[in-house]
Amino acid sequence: MRAEAAEAERRFDVREAARGWHRAGAIGEAARAAIEAAYPDDRARLGPVFRVLVFGFAVVAVSALFGLFGLFMAEAFTRSNGVPLMLFGLVLVGATELQVGSLRRAQGGTEAATAFLGLCYLLGGMLWLVESARLGEAAWINLALVLVVVLCAAAAYRWGYMLFAAAAASALFPLLARGPWGRLTWVIVPVALVPALLRAGDSARLPPSHRRSCQAVAVVCLVFLYLAVHLGSWDLGLVEALTGEGRASRAPAPAPFRPLFAVATALVPVATFVWGIGARRRLLINLGLVGLLSSIVTLRFYVHVAPLWVALLVGGASALGLALALRRYLDSGPGQERHGFTAEPLFADPERRSTLEVAASVASLSPAARAIERPGFQGGGGRSGGGGATGNF
Amino acid sequence: MNPDVVAAVRRLGREGILTPAQSGLFGRVAGDELVSVRAELRLLLYGGVLAVMGGVGVLVQQNLDRLGPVAIAAGLWIAAAAALLWALRHAPPFSWGPAPSTHMAFDYILLLGVLLTGAALAYMEVKFTPLGTAWSNHLLVMSLFAAALAVRGDSRVVAGAALSTFAAWMGVSASPLERAFWFSGDAAAAARLNAAITGLLFVGLGYGLVQSGRKAHFEPVATHLGWLLVLSAILAGIGDQGAARLGLFVVGAGLAALAFWRGRFPLFGMGLIAAYIGLSALVVAGVRDAAFGFLWFSATGIAVLVGLLMAQRAMRERA
Repeated sequence: MRAEAAEAERRFDVREAARGWHRAGAIGEAARAAIEAAYPDDRARLGPVFRVLVFGFAVVAVSALFGLFGLFMAEAFTRSNGVPLMLFGLVLVGATELQVGSLRRAQGGTEAATAFLGLCYLLGGMLWLVESARLGEAAWINLALVLVVVLCAAAAYRWGYMLFAAAAASALFPLLARGPWGRLTWVIVPVALVPALLRAGDSARLPPSHRRSCQAVAVVCLVFLYLAVHLGSWDLGLVEALTGEGRASRAPAPAPFRPLFAVATALVPVATFVWGIGARRRLLINLGLVGLLSSIVTLRFYVHVAPLWVALLVGGASALGLALALRRYLDSGPGQERHGFTAEPLFADPERRSTLEVAASVASLSPAARAIERPGFQGGGGRSGGGGATGNF
Repeated sequence: MNPDVVAAVRRLGREGILTPAQSGLFGRVAGDELVSVRAELRLLLYGGVLAVMGGVGVLVQQNLDRLGPVAIAAGLWIAAAAALLWALRHAPPFSWGPAPSTHMAFDYILLLGVLLTGAALAYMEVKFTPLGTAWSNHLLVMSLFAAALAVRGDSRVVAGAALSTFAAWMGVSASPLERAFWFSGDAAAAARLNAAITGLLFVGLGYGLVQSGRKAHFEPVATHLGWLLVLSAILAGIGDQGAARLGLFVVGAGLAALAFWRGRFPLFGMGLIAAYIGLSALVVAGVRDAAFGFLWFSATGIAVLVGLLMAQRAMRERA
């Protein structure tokens, strides 16, 4: 990553923090202005709405332009085995370099679009070229995964996009699964990498986007660790299926192994959650909670401990009760905090949270529409509770 | 942790831009010595509400015969009353302006109370049919009840539930997965018309809230949902109607222009996308040629990009 882009990211983080402090009323306008003067931003940035629009329209324009070329040179495209795709990709990579370099764009939408499309075209072209070499399906898949890992990792390193880092890590694990000890490597690699990645995620030597990329890769590693030890994944032969030879190729599971997977399905999320609490890392806490929920669903799938309605009611009431109890516990501590945790919002943006909540509630709790009455229609009874409640009674 | 912010806080403290108390707190937060779990607790509350409502739905469906209608109705009403009483006890003093509750769980328990009341009302309606053939009017009653509670408790989440319930009474589900729109025929056309009317009513409501100065901060909920319904209703018809394409372009462009003038970014985005889809559908459908299609999307894509960058600059300068 360019040194000046890394420096701009560091300054932007400080400015964003100051914006949060100001929004929460913790500093005044003068202090905020002084901080922004001390940490000037030399990048051309867009707000979130404009950024999404610009990204979307850039993708439309560039893809249509390529389609136009492809239409007029269809025969040459077919004969050259993906070389034009790669060339177009290289042009887009160059455009990205120009934008993040001399044009000093960051979070501007267009540079993300050219980076994304450039990578897609490069990958597409390379895969086409490899396919024309007729290496066989297994070799082609292996090479394709290697290319995805290498190109996405290089893009993440160069431009700092977290999604590329996560994509590289997500392709690495299927690649590992194709080796002789696939499931074991899904356990060993995360166990070895995650502590180092989390430490790197706090390192002052790395620019903010690389730190975030490290955290994203750590999340992907933990997800694959969970999948490796998950009872359902063992029973379905999920990892073994990725070898392309299917479940049949695996030797029958030794009897003592299955309980081990059952225990690991429960323990991995708990360990992640406890680690998150101990290290005060929200990333691990959230991942642990999601894993716990998944393990509870798995338990319900294998063992019918109670009818579904009991499980939902008890689960929901427990979640409500737990949240209320935790909030009370944290609020009653000195300075409304305990063990370094608080239920106070600190410097988060309440407006953004509120908007997300309203959108989520409208999307998930909207009642079914009543039938539109036409001549001859007979009302057949309600099937919606209103206020968001749904269900057939 | 964010080591850059930690270092900056130290520097700003040394330079006197931040007071010692400020740099102490900010440094702890940036260094992850103090972590807020408020978002996680709210998610837990929201998930709890969803799970309880899911459980209630399954309970009613699967145990209707075993428990009997009176027991189920009584259970639902008692649970709803308990949730609403708790919420009203913790409600902030009434104000026409913003009056956020001091209790983190307030919004969620109020929402739970509203949803349980809705479930109880619907169940009563189905089992005992007090409204007879006007059975669907319980949705209107429910939306008014939810709206009253949203105003009393200053809850935008419950206001969203009230609006989506009103939309359901109008024959439109505000869920993005609403499928009735996308089919052709009389029912689809009626659903689209209802959606457009409902959307306009919501936009009008938002305007009224701002003009009256009463709960003006609810306006974005009503306005965004309203425009979403209006544009979706027109968009759903562009497959088989030329007028819908023109309508989408005109309405979208109008919305984008109005939103640009007022500095409303999300509405500007919605309007622009709608106008672009409408215009593209008009032009590309008229000239069925692949080369022209590619040329159209590349040229207009670049033109819109340039326009967006200019618009953003103009908005920034105006601000």
